[in-house]
Amino acid sequence: MSILVVGLNHKSAPVDVREKLAFNNNSVSNALSVFTQKYPSSEAVILSTCNRVEIYASSASDAVKLEDILSFLAEFHKIEKDAFSQYMYHYKDDRAVTHLFHVSSSIDSMVIGESQILSQVKEAYTLASMEQSTGKILNQLFQQALNLSKTIHTNTSIGQGKVSISSVAVEFAEKIFQDFTGKMVLVVGAGEMCELLLKHLYEEGARTIIVANRTFERAQAIADAFQGQAIKYELLGEYLSKADIIITSTSAPHYVIHTDQVKDAIKHRRGNPIFLIDIAVPRDIEPGVGNIDNVYLYNIDDLQTVVNQNIDDRTREIEKCRAIIEKEVEHFMARLEQIKIEPAITLLRNSFHTIGKDELNRLKPKLKNINDEEWNQVVYTMERTLNKLLHHPAKVAKQEARNGGGYRYVETIKKLFGIFHHHPDDSNK
Amino acid sequence: MFTLSHIPFIISIALYLVSSTWSIGHIIKSDIFNKKVARWSTIMGFLIHSGYLAFLGINSNSIPITNVYESFVSLLWCVLFVFINIDYLYKLPSLDTFLMPLVSALSIWALTFDKRDMFITVSLQKFWLIAHIIPIFIGYAAFTISFSLSVMYLTQQRQLKHKLFGRLFSKLPSLEGIDNLIWKTISFGFPLLTLGLVFGTFWVKTQNILGEMWYLDSKVILGLATWLIYAALLHMRLVASFHGTKIALLTIAGFCFVLFTFIGTFFIGSKHAFQKVSKNVTHIEILGESKLHYSHL
Repeated sequence: MSILVVGLNHKSAPVDVREKLAFNNNSVSNALSVFTQKYPSSEAVILSTCNRVEIYASSASDAVKLEDILSFLAEFHKIEKDAFSQYMYHYKDDRAVTHLFHVSSSIDSMVIGESQILSQVKEAYTLASMEQSTGKILNQLFQQALNLSKTIHTNTSIGQGKVSISSVAVEFAEKIFQDFTGKMVLVVGAGEMCELLLKHLYEEGARTIIVANRTFERAQAIADAFQGQAIKYELLGEYLSKADIIITSTSAPHYVIHTDQVKDAIKHRRGNPIFLIDIAVPRDIEPGVGNIDNVYLYNIDDLQTVVNQNIDDRTREIEKCRAIIEKEVEHFMARLEQIKIEPAITLLRNSFHTIGKDELNRLKPKLKNINDEEWNQVVYTMERTLNKLLHHPAKVAKQEARNGGGYRYVETIKKLFGIFHHHPDDSNK
Repeated sequence: MFTLSHIPFIISIALYLVSSTWSIGHIIKSDIFNKKVARWSTIMGFLIHSGYLAFLGINSNSIPITNVYESFVSLLWCVLFVFINIDYLYKLPSLDTFLMPLVSALSIWALTFDKRDMFITVSLQKFWLIAHIIPIFIGYAAFTISFSLSVMYLTQQRQLKHKLFGRLFSKLPSLEGIDNLIWKTISFGFPLLTLGLVFGTFWVKTQNILGEMWYLDSKVILGLATWLIYAALLHMRLVASFHGTKIALLTIAGFCFVLFTFIGTFFIGSKHAFQKVSKNVTHIEILGESKLHYSHL
């Protein structure tokens, strides 16, 4: 019985390879049913995200090998194996378990500590369960991975601190304003970053959006996308005192918002704060604006510094996560050993009870005068004796299984008692 | 000197100190300092404090303000009462981090006032006394909360201005959220202060307890100054719609006046409320209708 993961991610493969192997929800279902038809005794889960495509498989006696999965991917996506095999990584057993735990805890993600991967792993597992392609091993593995991910996010700071410019800017805005409903957002310029920031603010509830740009049509296009209003660039000064949040990203070689203008604006606002984000290079807002009382000005470097600091903080947490994962892998592998010997113990128990039954059947005709109650007592005694005989070896085997030696014990007992039926792995599903 | 009867209040102070430590610790190391410990310490401390206040009240057969110590204990109870309610209603994060150290410090200060040191100079159990004291105490409590909120506002504002984005920054609420609550606590406290002062004026006029020149008493003058500061604050907010740093600074100034009106007047001398009993003075005059005399020792 083994666990195997074969896959590729943002670190091992370029996007043009990743996109060739990517699955959507429908194709995952198809692929899983094709896979389980081809390898009926094995379990499988397919995890496909923007940054990774991975197949987790568990099978008896290595029924599914690396080559099988590579061939399966090539056949399913109708591409040459050579086109992607060099970018693939593969891990087996405890290393495969460690890999999944790293993935689900987001320490293997492009953005360390991101929370999206947890829902992606959950979705992949749910899909596989629905397709009935998971069994005892992968159920146990994925449930443990999901729980572990939650534990890691709660007990470490891996997911804390925003790691993108726009989310950091929105976080700052949330430290100035209680909510964004009724707040006016003034956008000056029409860069891509502006749109991204607007999108974040819009999602957080900002609905009064004013866009000013030298090219009116471009301002109109952005305003339309966020149910806002485009204004002529010349009217910018009039809106300065009305706006609560001002985002600038023009390509002007000079300042477009000056200290005196903002001083006037804050006077009109009677201390109501203004939050200014200048993401233009060269800067659009005169730096002196930041010294005005109740005015909060941040430029691209300020935001980037926070992003970098948060990334560093998250990276520092990786070792802590690894230590937690290492312990969890040990637990899982011990549990796996127990799962492995369970069918063998059942076989042993069934074999003993069959012998017992045979003996009882042989005995019954000889005891002619025995009534039902007395016979039941004999049957009960036989079962009790067999259970007692088996209790200790089963217990020891399970205990030993945690260290990986349980299987040997069961095999020895089977050999001593002459039990040579099918392989225990066969009944693992 | 401490006596056995101080013990419940000392236990409350210990719990307030635990709450202060945990609420500050939660910002520095949230995995070690659980916020629940801070919250439950405050509630437990408050319950013991409430029981102690009831004990003092039963002992003196009046509202427990017969000396400066009791008066202080009562005021602190009002602060916690208003805080627990505000915390329940608005759930503003980290308010306890700013308030509980202040409550702990004031509680320890209260302990330094000996029970026998200063006595009330007016006869108790009067309608006017209750009508005068209770609204003012609850008003003062609201102003204490608004003071903590203002310190919180200025802290967060400083962090935003100087780009200090540490743990404290992430744990504090938005400036607007703090500003709104400052405004709410002041607009809750101000009518109560006004009511208390109006009742006090009626009392002093109708029963002549502070003499003809009552309006020149230091506590009366400071009380009026306090009222004017908060009136100015409300005016700035209501009429001129002012927000931000200036409001926070003025609120802090207002609280300094509250503290000085409440405690400072004992030291600079005032006929109002309490008088220090020194070795030279063996008795003080109890003011009021009955003109009783209270002999010390």
